[in-house]
Amino acid sequence: MNIVFTALTLISIVMLTIASPATAFPTMLQGVMNAITLIFKLAAIYAVWLSVLKMMQATALDKKLSKLLRPLIKRLFKKESEETYGWISINLAANMLGMGGVATPAGIKAMQSMSFEGQTVASPNMILLLIINATSIQLIPATVIAIRATAGSADASSIFLPTLISTAISTISGVILCKVFSLTDSKKDKDYYINGGLSSKNNMLNRLSFKVRPSTHKGAK
Amino acid sequence: MSVYVLPALVIILLVVCIIKRVKVYDCFLEGTKDSLSLIKSIFPYIASIFVCIELFKASGLSATVSGWLSKPLSYIGIPSEITELILLVPLSGNGTIALLESIIGECGVDSYPARCAAVISGATETIFYIAAVYFSACKVRKLRYAIPVALFCTLLGTVVACALCRIM
Repeated sequence: MNIVFTALTLISIVMLTIASPATAFPTMLQGVMNAITLIFKLAAIYAVWLSVLKMMQATALDKKLSKLLRPLIKRLFKKESEETYGWISINLAANMLGMGGVATPAGIKAMQSMSFEGQTVASPNMILLLIINATSIQLIPATVIAIRATAGSADASSIFLPTLISTAISTISGVILCKVFSLTDSKKDKDYYINGGLSSKNNMLNRLSFKVRPSTHKGAK
Repeated sequence: MSVYVLPALVIILLVVCIIKRVKVYDCFLEGTKDSLSLIKSIFPYIASIFVCIELFKASGLSATVSGWLSKPLSYIGIPSEITELILLVPLSGNGTIALLESIIGECGVDSYPARCAAVISGATETIFYIAAVYFSACKVRKLRYAIPVALFCTLLGTVVACALCRIM
């Protein structure tokens, strides 16, 4: 991310300074301005949807939804907590229905509940969730159909089937590639993701405490 | 019909809340509070990506790079009119829609490039934006193979989309 950002920004600024130096700074400001406009829009969307999600949790409806999607999600995301499964199912369901406003906060919460204190490297499950979202299956491309209709297309919704097929192919290939790559993780990596990133020092402490425990049991007897 | 789906879902949820005696007002207060803290944590990511996109477009770099790429991409069946769209798709949702409208204006809404552009805009997500925002709340910075895989699969979907537009 750092490399991509620095390279893109640097090359762009150099080109812009050569072509029209006066616009370089206003362009950057315009970018932040766009970000602020978006963030206010997002604040409103998330306020409503997070409240709805809170109600879903309070009524335990999220558990029902995750039970419905459980077989699929449990197969894809192994060894995660119940809370995580709940967030993932809300995220995926919202994504397929095209409700980006719910999918994003649920996705952020899912990532948060999958991570542990001090984690810096993404776990295979986190990457999988990201890739499913980044290639998300689109059931109804509403915005694009609306644009085509206003532009006077003869059959605005004719793009529906190609869209569905191409997103299905990108998602399925994404899941497969993700699983293939996660096979390359060494055993040490797997320990890292599952046991919550215990450093070697902590591991030693862990082993020590295992040794100590039996003796204390004996003492108790 | 689809206009009714969202309001109906919320109404059903509210009714369930009443049946289960959930404090709706408290839920709303908490949700709104959460929204602000969420916004606070994702703002830096959105701002940096937007600065990057704005510079990328304004400097003409996106046009230059798409000029280089249009030849190799045409070999895998992607029309040259939409190369710039493919470059912009992983970065910016609004940029994609704006570009789609200009492609429709140039080539005509039912032309082959415009239909490809429409399918691609509908089928793809803003990968860099999602990656930045989803990981904004936890401290994970190394995404390993996530972005390359996502980009590759999107490209695969794009090639399929262009092929489908030819026959459908």
